[in-house]
Amino acid sequence: MTAHTRPERPRPQRPAKRQMLLALLITLAVTGLTWTVAVSLAEDSVRLPLAWGAGAAAVALCVAVPWAVHGRAETRRLTAELAERRHRLDDFADQEVPALVGRLRGGASTDTALGAARPDNNAEAKVLRTLAEEVGRAEAGKAAALAAGAGAAARLQALTIGMLAELREMEHRHGDEDVLGDLLLLDHRTAQAGRLADSIAVITGARSGRRWSKPIVMESIIRGAMGRIGGYQRVRSHSTVNVAVAGHAAEGVMHALAELLDNAANFSPPTAEVHVYVEEVQTGVVITVEDSGLVMSDVALRRAERAVSARELDLSALSGTRLGLAVVGRLARKHGLKVSFRPSARGGTGVLMVIPQELISRPRSPEESPGRATPAKTVPAAPAKAAAPLPSPTPAPEAERPVPPAPVADDRPPATREHSPAESTGTDELPQFGESGLPKRRRGRTLANANRQERARQDRAASAPAHSPAESAARFGAFRQALQGRDRATGDQTELSPREKSHPEEHTP
Amino acid sequence: MTRPGRDDDPDRLYTVTRGRSRASSDAFDLVTLVVSESDATPGMQSEHTRILRLCQYPTAVVEVSAELKLPVTVVRILLSDLLDSGLITARHPQTAGSAAHLPDSNLLEQVLVGLRNL
Repeated sequence: MTAHTRPERPRPQRPAKRQMLLALLITLAVTGLTWTVAVSLAEDSVRLPLAWGAGAAAVALCVAVPWAVHGRAETRRLTAELAERRHRLDDFADQEVPALVGRLRGGASTDTALGAARPDNNAEAKVLRTLAEEVGRAEAGKAAALAAGAGAAARLQALTIGMLAELREMEHRHGDEDVLGDLLLLDHRTAQAGRLADSIAVITGARSGRRWSKPIVMESIIRGAMGRIGGYQRVRSHSTVNVAVAGHAAEGVMHALAELLDNAANFSPPTAEVHVYVEEVQTGVVITVEDSGLVMSDVALRRAERAVSARELDLSALSGTRLGLAVVGRLARKHGLKVSFRPSARGGTGVLMVIPQELISRPRSPEESPGRATPAKTVPAAPAKAAAPLPSPTPAPEAERPVPPAPVADDRPPATREHSPAESTGTDELPQFGESGLPKRRRGRTLANANRQERARQDRAASAPAHSPAESAARFGAFRQALQGRDRATGDQTELSPREKSHPEEHTP
Repeated sequence: MTRPGRDDDPDRLYTVTRGRSRASSDAFDLVTLVVSESDATPGMQSEHTRILRLCQYPTAVVEVSAELKLPVTVVRILLSDLLDSGLITARHPQTAGSAAHLPDSNLLEQVLVGLRNL
């Protein structure tokens, strides 16, 4: 800026001098001419005083006019300079300073941020330096405080998660009703403490508490959310949809829902119920939380909407007791949830939370899984157990022959089904083998699951009546040898042999 | 494979029982046989649905507990809910009932004495 403003400044001076000179010359010429004419025309008696008087006046005029011209030019110059300075000051206030603060907020160090700034003069440089140091210190303090909060919250989360697991184990161990009652109480308190720790973690920008390795069905989502608030017994859930929320987002959804439920329960009379409705829509799943408590005014509704939809979390707007909506807002941004508020027909406030379709999967409920997915196969036994371990060897071969990949599709527990339909198509049901020759596990599936078809096939091969009599005889011989306790080495070898033999067969059927 | 706190379900037991820790009826002990009397209806708690499906044939309480992976006390609370709404019936195993029909102890004692005297 200095570079291109400097040459501008002397320019008005030169015309000013020239103007002055011009004014002097004109004045000299005019006054000289007037003087000469006046003196020559005057009578002799007054010529001398007139000459002197008029001469003096002419000289005075010759001084005064250029002086006035100079003054005028100077005024104009100063006015221009003042305007320019004001303009530059505006620039400084509007651009330099915000840019500097922006750079500091963006994580630049004080020196880096100052290096990019271009102060016009010393005063501006000083202002910028002071500002940079102060803002830099405040930013560093904020970052340190957030990091400390996040660290503490993470440890608290780990602690509560461990405690919850231990409490669950104790609940299983102690059958006594009184003990169980006490344990449940502790469990509830710990879950609430865990929610608080989760909230702090969310606000400080740490990762959320835990990740579920499988999609979580909606009933569990709602109950998980209920379990984290104080007045969970007042929450009534009305849900018949059979959907699940993807594992990576389940915790966030549960936490956001817990905060909304907590709000609803806290701001309604202690005996009023809070109702949760779940319904499927085109864009996903809508969870509605309705209370019959205080009606939120329009202003309050707008403020709540703003809190949950703000782009950036404003830490200064937080208060110690009302973290809920800020947490919901942050989680909503993270997982793409849409939260809106409206007055409820029950007399209180209704909150709608839309879970986008990407986070939804549709686990097949146990009773409908056999019929719909594989009509070719009928499962007579164990209707309650879709996740039954292995098909029993004897009836399975007849039933499974016509549709080889079907049993695997069916045997997978509904919970582990991935939400993308493409993933459940035939090809990747086959176990995949890595370079090492060992079966590879797909994400989100247990190895036992991934390997199930392999085992089913082995079972089929083992039970198929394809063995030649000689082979059967060899097997029986091996069995006898093992029974007779001959040396271990040969025993192991012969025990392995049937399995080795069954491998080549699996390509034949 | 199961790290504590990682793979269990998110719903806590007190939400399953809605905060109760005591069954409303004493009809159930560990070996009480439970039979479901009707099918599950949509909108039911999933544990109730599973119990109803599991108990299409007489099933002992302890088996239900193992199948649902829930503590027996919790299962008893759930079962007494179902019993109260008439969706299941419970009866004790036959042996417990037949204890009353055993010959009385006097007769047995006389037999014993008789045997000793042989």
